[in-house]
Amino acid sequence: MSKDSQMRVAINQKLIEMGERERLKELLRAKLVECGWKDQLKAHCKDVIKEKGLEHVTVEDLVTEVTPKGRALVPDSVKKELLQRIRAFLAQHATL
Amino acid sequence: MKMEEVSMSSLDNSKLEGLAQDILSDLVEDACLGLCFEVHRAVKQGYFFLDDTDQESMRDFEIVDQPGLDVFGQVYNQWKNKECVCPNCSRSIAASRFAPHLEKCLGMGRNSSRIANRRIVTGNNTNNKSESDQEDNDDVNDNDWSYGAEKKAKKRKSDKNPNSPRRSKSFKHKSSMMGPRRRLDNQESPRMLMKDEAFPQ
Repeated sequence: MSKDSQMRVAINQKLIEMGERERLKELLRAKLVECGWKDQLKAHCKDVIKEKGLEHVTVEDLVTEVTPKGRALVPDSVKKELLQRIRAFLAQHATL
Repeated sequence: MKMEEVSMSSLDNSKLEGLAQDILSDLVEDACLGLCFEVHRAVKQGYFFLDDTDQESMRDFEIVDQPGLDVFGQVYNQWKNKECVCPNCSRSIAASRFAPHLEKCLGMGRNSSRIANRRIVTGNNTNNKSESDQEDNDDVNDNDWSYGAEKKAKKRKSDKNPNSPRRSKSFKHKSSMMGPRRRLDNQESPRMLMKDEAFPQ
């Protein structure tokens, strides 16, 4: 394992251990609901489901259809806020 | 342990930035995955499409915006002049007055014991009209019990019911007796004021 990926694992471990990952997730979810991201994606899901048929749709279908769109639709302001929180965490814990 | 610390502190900014971006995209992916699970479950349980309806039924429940009608398209105040029949004394009472009437008529609420006492007395002696007190006097001029006052007046005489709370007519007497005395009190007050003014000197 390279030094870089080792460091990544350590940081992720720390994020989970400190509970920061859970907090960030909750924050992101709240922001995404607030800005209508969830409704947009739900509408997209509806199209996908109608296309595939109600009985035949699988979680995998939904994930492959929805994830790229979901990533693109996250507003910049939300991204910025999350990044700021993550950077603050890294600054605190990467130098320890 | 020592190795890790060194590697972490030797990070440059671009690497940190990349790491932050990765964490963010991880989080976003998590959120997407969560949504997918949620939607999938809703579809399989059959409640995902519950909130879509066809145009026609949407039109049925559209909000009405016309003068004189409420949002449901019903006539505003259509219940205002409705009358209810009291189950106890079988008079018809304006709906807005029905609750206070029923309270007195059935002898519940805070005046109940007093009214019940009075009912016993008046039951024994129907001519005894002297006892009534201020609180019950809103029943005295009872044109406001119902909207068709004249029409009801005839009916009222015909079905005189001893259970009805409406009874005595003594309130008007009382107030006319009180009138002159109050005026006397008022005349006295200027004199009092003059006395007070003179006092300090």
